[in-house]
Amino acid sequence: MVALAIANQTVREALRRRVMWIFLIIGVFLIALGPVFGFLNPRDSQVVLKSLGLAAILLAGLFITIVTCIYLIPIEIERRTIYTVLSKPVQRYEFVLGKFLGGFATVFVNIAAMGVVFLAMLWLQTPGHHVPPDMFKGIMLTFFQMLLLAALTIFFSTFATPVVNFFLSFGIFLVGNLSSVTDSLTTSRNAIARGVGTLVHYLLPNFGNFNIQNSIIHPQIEIANANAFMMQSIAYALIYSAVLLILAILIFDRREV
Amino acid sequence: MAATTKIYTQDSIRRRKMLLPLMLVLLLIVVPFLQKTIDPTAEEYHKGEKSLVTAGMGLNNEFLLLPMLGFREAAAGLLWVRCDEFFHSGDYDAILPLVRLITWLDPHADNVYVTGAWHLSYNFTDSSERSDRRYIPPAMRLLDEGIQNNMNIPDIKFEKGWQLYDKVKDFNGAEDAFKLALATKPSKNSDDYPYGAPLRIWHTLAHAYEKQGRIPEALATWQKAMQRAHEMLGRNPKDYSTKQLLAAEKHNYELTLQRYQDRYQTSGHDHTNPTPYPAVLMPAAGSKTLGPWDGSFEPHVEITRPKVFKVSGRFAVADGARVDVRIEDEDYKPIDVSNARDAFNIPLDQTILVDTVSVRKTRFEREMDMSRDAKMYSFSKPYLKVILSYNPRTTSPHLQDRFGWSGEGLTDRNPNYVYYDKRPELLGTKLIEGQQGDGPKWDGKDETWRQGGRRPEGSTEEWKPGGQPPRLIKVTYRVKAEDVLNGGKVLTDKDIVPND
Repeated sequence: MVALAIANQTVREALRRRVMWIFLIIGVFLIALGPVFGFLNPRDSQVVLKSLGLAAILLAGLFITIVTCIYLIPIEIERRTIYTVLSKPVQRYEFVLGKFLGGFATVFVNIAAMGVVFLAMLWLQTPGHHVPPDMFKGIMLTFFQMLLLAALTIFFSTFATPVVNFFLSFGIFLVGNLSSVTDSLTTSRNAIARGVGTLVHYLLPNFGNFNIQNSIIHPQIEIANANAFMMQSIAYALIYSAVLLILAILIFDRREV
Repeated sequence: MAATTKIYTQDSIRRRKMLLPLMLVLLLIVVPFLQKTIDPTAEEYHKGEKSLVTAGMGLNNEFLLLPMLGFREAAAGLLWVRCDEFFHSGDYDAILPLVRLITWLDPHADNVYVTGAWHLSYNFTDSSERSDRRYIPPAMRLLDEGIQNNMNIPDIKFEKGWQLYDKVKDFNGAEDAFKLALATKPSKNSDDYPYGAPLRIWHTLAHAYEKQGRIPEALATWQKAMQRAHEMLGRNPKDYSTKQLLAAEKHNYELTLQRYQDRYQTSGHDHTNPTPYPAVLMPAAGSKTLGPWDGSFEPHVEITRPKVFKVSGRFAVADGARVDVRIEDEDYKPIDVSNARDAFNIPLDQTILVDTVSVRKTRFEREMDMSRDAKMYSFSKPYLKVILSYNPRTTSPHLQDRFGWSGEGLTDRNPNYVYYDKRPELLGTKLIEGQQGDGPKWDGKDETWRQGGRRPEGSTEEWKPGGQPPRLIKVTYRVKAEDVLNGGKVLTDKDIVPND
């Protein structure tokens, strides 16, 4: 309950941040522009619409997540409001958990808003007003990708400044998206490359798992076990986020504030 | 905050401090196993995508960031826009590396494979708009790669078939590609469902059979197309597009049968002007000799100036015939790009020109200036071949009405000019006796007939090869590259070498 109360407060605070609204507006604007770019691919303007829409949700979601989550804990310390909170019967883990839940709820609201606009655009632009179910999958996986990123950012924010946190989170997001590279490195002949590849592929958060946009925007592509893959990817996001939150709690427990 | 004060005992805090690291270790063990489970399907999702290390080497910074963030398709889309800009500004060379990158980034961009291959096959030309044939193997390789990455999309397979049909005139290869397209697994997401491919591919397959002189198979294919059109109309009687296709299928089926009757049967179809002869053996006006028409081919090839050929001559056939001209290195072979990493690199030392010259009032003439395109025509090999040929399989229907689908009704007074291409894959249906065809003659009825030495798929019964080889009029000259570079040489009968 305590964590939820902190989360509630965090959402209210985050929604007051203008920068988040700017990213949201840019995201919605890009999605709304989708039909305009249909001319780029006259044979299949739907592909452009889907591709641009999913990319806009991901891009805006990425910046909203990082910008929202990097400040959640440091700003409490900087403003010394954390003393007021922790002087109450609030455990540090509840504080970290509350901040994470609040940050993530904000991201969820934003992604949901962009998702609704995107699906509405698709509904309007698709002949017969048919929205392919794969688009829901795309939005959902972006949502869980951001869950993982939010956990990562919260983890870094327990010991790093916002600027360092920004570069660390963004950097790991980039490396985590190179799963095709790291996966191929795991079978490299070079022992060092193989070792590094294996370490990165299995230990760093693998954000590439959630990038299925290329396949779902082309309606003819059929993947066997697609539903199992969805469930596994969601489980991965939840478990890895739990790992990061436990680490964050352990570090924050020992930190002097 | 909480309405009542919550008390955390030291015990509960200690328990949590012990429990959390334990959970952490457990979860950290689960993560790699979970990743291992995800990897095979993730690979399937990313099938055909080249790693960013490979693809990224050719990307500018502005485009590199997008794929790194996971927006491979968005980057591919933007690059495709750049391709369009290059295309409209005529900078064709700049398009190739972009096509390569786009297909690496987004291996499901079927239109990029299709358009990229079309661009390679058709748009690199010399100053007289003749295609650079050296780009055809890379185009085919690109299409093969696209097919491999998108087995459930018929369009790329169809494009391969169409380019083989239209550009390469390899109707046998086209047949295989069309069949592959038709065998595409039906997808509920496709407009063609419950079929794997659009109806029109049956049409092109039928035409590919006809171009190979395999008439019963062409007829059977039209039958199958009509059957499918009826099925489609049964489901949707107001599908006017399919109605039109059905009308075309009926027309083409009947036209093919009529042509068969006119060309190979004595009955004829024209009751106002009946004839006792099949058209392929019709005597010339004023003559009573029954047999193939003598084309009396008289070619004349001259190198008028350095790297400039003048091809002219007489050919006693009706207007509309086209003499094929091929000037190539003596040892010319299409490059093997099957294992090349950068398949768009063409051998700059190869020379090949392919053109046609139309026959008007039994004469033909054209100057072929190869001097203005040094990048296309390097003349770096010591000898070249100049091949002039006329292929009844690719000629207009009104000429086939006299010469037949496989040239059964065409010959030449110079026997050295008559060339039978007996490669098994080129054997057409034997439709008439005594014109160099082998094996049994088609009865004009059995549309399931097979010939050409091809054993029916899955059949184990004894199979006798047979069929009608195409009969071409063909002359091959051998010329020194030095003579081409110097100019001022007339090719004579002494320069003629056996056709191969």
